Formats: sequence, C-alpha cells, structure tokens
Amino acid sequence: MSSSGNEASAPTAARTGAKAGSGVVNFAANYGLAVIFVLVLIVFGLLRPDTYLSQSNISNLLTSQAVTALLALAVMMPLTTGRFDLSVGYHVGFAQIMAIGLQVNGGLSWPAAAAIVIVLSIVIGAVNGFLVMRLRIDSFIATMGVGSLLYGISNWYTDGMQIAGFDLPDGYSGLAGAVAGIPIPAIVVAIVGAILWIVLERIPAGRGLYFIGSNPRAAELSGVDVERSVAATFVVAGMLCGVAGVLLGAILRSGTPSVGPEYLLPAFAAALLGATSIRPGRVNVGGTLLAILILAFAFSGVQQLGAAFYVEYLFNGAILIVAVALSVYAAARRRKAAAGSGAGN
Amino acid sequence: MNDDILSIRGLTKNFYGVSALGGADFTLRRGEIHALIGENGAGKSTFIKILAGVYDKDGGEIRLDGRIVDPRAERLPIAFVHQDNAFAEDLSVAENVAFGVGYPRRMGLIDWAAVNRQAIDIYKAMDVEPLHPERMVSTLSAAEKAILSIVRKLAHTPQVLVLDEPTAALPEADSVQLFEAMRRLSDKGTSMIYVSHRLNELFGLCDRVTTFRDGRHVATEDMAETTIDRLVEHMLGQPARALAANKDMAEPTGRVALRVDSLVVEGRGPIGFDIREGEILGLVGLRGGGQEAVGRAIFGALPMEAGTISLFGRALPYKRTIGQSIEAGVRLLAGNRAFESAFAGMSLSENILVNPRIRGESPWRWTTPARERAAVRELLDRFDIRPRRENALIDWLSGGNQQKACLARWLGDNGRLLILEEPTAGVDIGAKLAIHDILRKSAAAGASMLVISTDVEEVAALCQRAIIVNRGRNGVELSGAELTVENLISHSSQGVRNAA
Repeated sequence: MSSSGNEASAPTAARTGAKAGSGVVNFAANYGLAVIFVLVLIVFGLLRPDTYLSQSNISNLLTSQAVTALLALAVMMPLTTGRFDLSVGYHVGFAQIMAIGLQVNGGLSWPAAAAIVIVLSIVIGAVNGFLVMRLRIDSFIATMGVGSLLYGISNWYTDGMQIAGFDLPDGYSGLAGAVAGIPIPAIVVAIVGAILWIVLERIPAGRGLYFIGSNPRAAELSGVDVERSVAATFVVAGMLCGVAGVLLGAILRSGTPSVGPEYLLPAFAAALLGATSIRPGRVNVGGTLLAILILAFAFSGVQQLGAAFYVEYLFNGAILIVAVALSVYAAARRRKAAAGSGAGN
Repeated sequence: MNDDILSIRGLTKNFYGVSALGGADFTLRRGEIHALIGENGAGKSTFIKILAGVYDKDGGEIRLDGRIVDPRAERLPIAFVHQDNAFAEDLSVAENVAFGVGYPRRMGLIDWAAVNRQAIDIYKAMDVEPLHPERMVSTLSAAEKAILSIVRKLAHTPQVLVLDEPTAALPEADSVQLFEAMRRLSDKGTSMIYVSHRLNELFGLCDRVTTFRDGRHVATEDMAETTIDRLVEHMLGQPARALAANKDMAEPTGRVALRVDSLVVEGRGPIGFDIREGEILGLVGLRGGGQEAVGRAIFGALPMEAGTISLFGRALPYKRTIGQSIEAGVRLLAGNRAFESAFAGMSLSENILVNPRIRGESPWRWTTPARERAAVRELLDRFDIRPRRENALIDWLSGGNQQKACLARWLGDNGRLLILEEPTAGVDIGAKLAIHDILRKSAAAGASMLVISTDVEEVAALCQRAIIVNRGRNGVELSGAELTVENLISHSSQGVRNAA
C-alpha cells in the first residue's frame, strides 16, 4: 500500500530531478522511513539472527501492534484537519472492557457485543465532533474531557477490577489468531488502512480534509462543509477505537480498566512520524503504517538485546519529539526548497 | 554635509546562480519620501532584505550619512514596516507598542501607566491623534493598524523608514489616513523608502520614484515630472499596453443572468441590480460601503436579511449554503488570498482542483493522479501559470501566479456568475493585464461577472458598468464613456460626504 501511495509523488521527483542531486533528496524525503525500516530489519536481524526475524516474533509484533496501528490511524483522521483526538487511549480501554463485559456479564454473543461496542464508539466519536464543531471547544480540551469521562465510566462499570474472560467463545478469541499464517488483527489493519488510503488519496471529498487543515476559511469558501467534515473525522476515529477495543479484548482475553492510556502516545508518535514520509509534510496512511512498523520492530530489537522495561517509555517519548521536529522540518524545507527553483521559471 | 542620507551603489546578489540584483543603485535624500517600484522579481524585496541585514550582499556598497556600513554587522537607524503586520491581536495598543519599543519599568516591574503614556507620546510625536492605549488591537480598522505598525517602530527614532507595501491590504480610502501620517513624519525629517504596487497613490505622496527592472536600476524621477504610463513603461521595459479599456466591447444584450432585488445584508441596504450574460459589472465604494457584503450574500457566505437573488429567473433559496450556491453556478474569488483563498503547503494541482462540484463532478468519484494531471495541465496552459508543474507547492509561486491559480479554480465551464473580490490585489502589472485578459475572454464566452474592487483603475478598465455603493445602497451608476477613473473617484468620495 505504501508503494502505491507514491504514484502521485514519484513523478514529481523525476521531473524536479533536473538539478543534480535533488532527485536523491526527494527520494530521501519520500521514502526515508522505508529505508530506515529496512535498515532496522537488517541490523537486528544480524545481531539476533535466531529470534528476531522468526515467524513467531513477526506475528507477535503484528498482532500486538495492530491495536496501536488502528489508534494511530484514528488520531490521524482529525489530524488531517488540524484537530487532536486525545480520547483514543481511554476510548480503546473502554471499548475493550465493554467488549468483554457485554459477553461475560451481559451474556451476549460475541458478534452482538462487538457490534454494540462499535456503535457506542461511533456515538462517542460523534460526541467529540459535536463538542469540537458545534460547541466550538478546542479539540485538545474537548477530547481530553471525553477521555477522562470514559476512564471514569470504565472504572465505574468494573469497579476498578479486571473482568476475567474465562469462557469466551472460540470465535471471539480466534480474532487474535491467524489466517494462513497472517495474524487477523494485521489483516484488519490492512483493510482499514486501504479504505482510508482510498478515501484520503483517491476520493476528492476525503482529500477535502487536508484543505481544512491547510486553510479552513478558504476550504469553507470553496464549498467544503467544514463542520460536517471535521465531525466525520472524529466519528471515524471513534469507530476505529471501537474496532481496536474489540481486537484488544480478544488479545487480552479479559477486560482491564487500566489498559488504554498507554496507547495514546505511540499512536500520536506514529501518525506524526508518518507525516515525514510518503507525503512529507502531512499526515498520511502509508507513512503512519510504516512508522508503526519501524517503532515496533526497532523496539522489539532493543528488547531482544536485553533492554529494561522502562526503555519503552524513553523510546516512545524520544520518537514523538523527533517525529514532530522532523515533520515540521520536512514541511518547512518543502515550502522553502523551491524559493530558488520556483523563481527560476 | 551630504544631502543624501542613504546612498547605495552597485548592489549585487545571486541565489543559486540566479541573479536577483545585478548592480542596483539607489539614493535617498534627507526628509524625502522615495517610492521604489518594479514588477515582482524586479529585485525590490531582495534590495530591502539586504538593507535589513536579512541577506548578505554579494557586491556593492551601502553608505549611511556618507559612511560605509554593513547592515549584517551593526544596528542601523533604519526601521522596516512590512506588509503583513503581525500584531498580538488580543492585547492592547499600548502593549503592542511596548513589544517593539520595550516596557517602561519601575523597580524592575512593568509600569503600566508609563506603558500607556509611551504609546500616546509616540502618536503625538508623529502628530497623529492617539488611539486609546487600552483598546484591543483586534478592534482597530485596517488603517489604524497600518499606522500602529509604523508607530511601534518609531521609538528608536529611525532616520530612515522603509515601508514595504503597507497599503497592500488596505482599501484605497483608508490609505489616505496612513499617507497623512507619513507626510507628517517626513516633515519632521524622517526619510522614507516606500514600496508599492499601486502606482496612482504615489502621486501626491512621494517626492521621487525609482524603478527597478530585472535587478537593476532603470530610472529615478521626480514624481512631479512623470506619469503612470512612463512608470509602467519603465517597469515593463516597453510602452504600456494600457489597462486596455473595455469600452469597445459590445453592449451586452444577453439574458439577465443575475437579478438582485432589495437585498439587505448586515443591516444595510436595500440594493438592487441586474447583470446580463457576458456583462462585467463593478461594485465600487469606500471601505465600509458594504459592497463586499453584497457579493458574499449572493454567494451564500453571509446571510441575507431581506430581498431576493435570482439566477436566470430562478430565485435562489433564501437560506442556502455555499455548496448550494456553487451547484447553482455562483463562484467567488475571495479578496484576501492568504487568508481566504490559497491553501498553503498544498500543490498547485490541489489548489486548483479543490472542489469537484465546481466542475460539475461528484466529490465522491474515484480519481487518479493521471486524470488530475491532465485536467490541471490544460488549465496551467490556458492561464499561463508558471511554473508549469502541477506538483509545485503554491507557496513557491509569485503573487500573480498564485492569483491565477485561484482564478483557475473557479473558472470552470459551469460557472454562470463569477464574483471577484479585488481580483488583482498584490499582483504585478504583467499578471494584472493577463488576469484582465482572462476575465474578458470568459465574459465574451458568456460568463457574467461582478467585480468588487477598491482599485478604480481596474474597474474603469475591466467593467462595462459600475455602481457606486454607499452604505449598502445603490449610489451613482456609471457606464460607457462616463466610466472613468476620475468619475469613480469623485462620485465615491461625494457619496460619503452626502451620507455623512
């Protein structure tokens, strides 16, 4: 998917490549993350040849990172319009608890529980959208508030205790399994990513979201329905939290109220790091998924070299800061780059 | 003592092998207001940025008071006022002055009374009626902000003040206030370099004018001894193909495309008029005349309060969204390009293909880069937008090319009524002529246009008919041989006198 995302930008590189070397620069800008990913695989593959690139390590990573990937795509959607959804961490925790709780306490079949959770999540996303666009509350504040509300509800529902999922149906726990060797959660991510990629890159209405991010007033005067579009990004983000929560329940096989918040930071780190690649300067599906792969595989490699548990936090924090610095730099560089080449025409 | 405060010889500057300045000369006399003009790319900005110490010069010398100086190495008594005045909008006038000047302190803490006094003092020293120092900057008019942008530079008592297009975002009438302030300053001995694209405003304001072309000095003349035509000739390097008048165009006899009847917007009106197929109608007026609101209401961006608007005999719904107006065939080119029109950081292609509905296509239709490339390339050719690279970011383009791209966004085949706000604000004369040409061709092909402009030269050149709007109502209507710059100016200023 990431390779097809470049149909648009690859020809640019070719055309602007008139100046010697600028083709290389463009390639680095567009595919930098892919190159880093390959380097990560090679380095750790050589350092830990027996375990690192083993089938089980790869499929473990793809399974456990699927939730982070879905949440990264979730935060990416409002980010296209310049809005933040800080509720995703608490939201996925809530969805996970409800997915287990509706089955264990509510006695519902797993498809019914999953459907209800996803509908609830859509409603929560719509509430975010309503607060941000109708009540004009800054997205930062509104989603932080909603997140805390969800956390409160999660703990209320469970009384702060874990809901044990002893006899979950095989169909449900099978969601954490694999088909033809490929983890089902990774397949879900691929499908969601493909749909979002089509919407953002190939459907003009979806691309309208980037216009809102660039200049909301101009977008409005161009006939883009800003209010509805932004609200829709929060609804999509909510829905993805619901899907991620259903998967997370299946992976953990229990409903744990303390799970969730720790997903927020890696999700933002991935979305923002993704903005440095494929389509430099803006958040995008291909870049986000590549960033997830890099973060997961790099961290797994560090772990296999024997790093302590707390390294994960250092790692994520550093990546977030570096990612934002890089994406700001990429955007600025791209805008300036051509002061020279544009004037030359 | 030397009569020249600033004397610059043979200034050169290259960027990546492209010459931006190829030996520019410039002298500024003590106490004069000296206009610096030239097309985009003539080297004015580079020249000013070297003076400000933003760029290092490659060659040449700068003398201030006879002494060779280096703006990169020392702090010179030269102040710069740029066109994009950035203020802290939610803070007071006095605080914004204090940012530029410094906060007066008492015992280490900010002395707020002195902060306010300081602002008043600077205004008074400039002989300008002081604003209330505690007024929020966001409540100021464009002219008041322009003056404030100068005031906050003045505490350092600069000998030279460089004004880089301070009126670019200023309606013509508001500029008058700014000019008075400038003249008072110059009477007090401040020398000024004044950069502007609006040639007509130089007369009566400036003492001398220097023209740059292709990074070189072309001519320096006394304002009293030159004409707009001569200046345009210097700028273009060829005799002015005058802003060709539209008078030879046939009287439009097509169907009535737009009918506005008793329209009230923002509490003003009523106003009414017709535009026929292929007709270009101008709405002119002073700032606050309400003409912009009329265009916005037709487009659905402002709510109508009374009246009817119909297109080809069919009334548009009273309450409607911008999307509905676009479906009905109404287009609006917003006047403030940076804030309301261009999408910074996005490609030329994206800037043009913003909304497929403008071209009568569904925004939910699958599209491919190849298809978009074909569509955009055709437009780049038709509108002569440079560079011809659909993936270039709009930020890289000159003002004129950005404006053409924004125009290309709206001039599809399905437009029936085009509302143009200040269609050539902030673009150079070459692009201006090109844009007028494009608009005339579109009109000849049957499009109807409503031009809302404070540039009376433009209205006289482009429109077949003009209505002077006075507080949201119909004022004098001019057409044919009567539609001249002189008549437009005299009627619009009279309108205000009568109303006052």
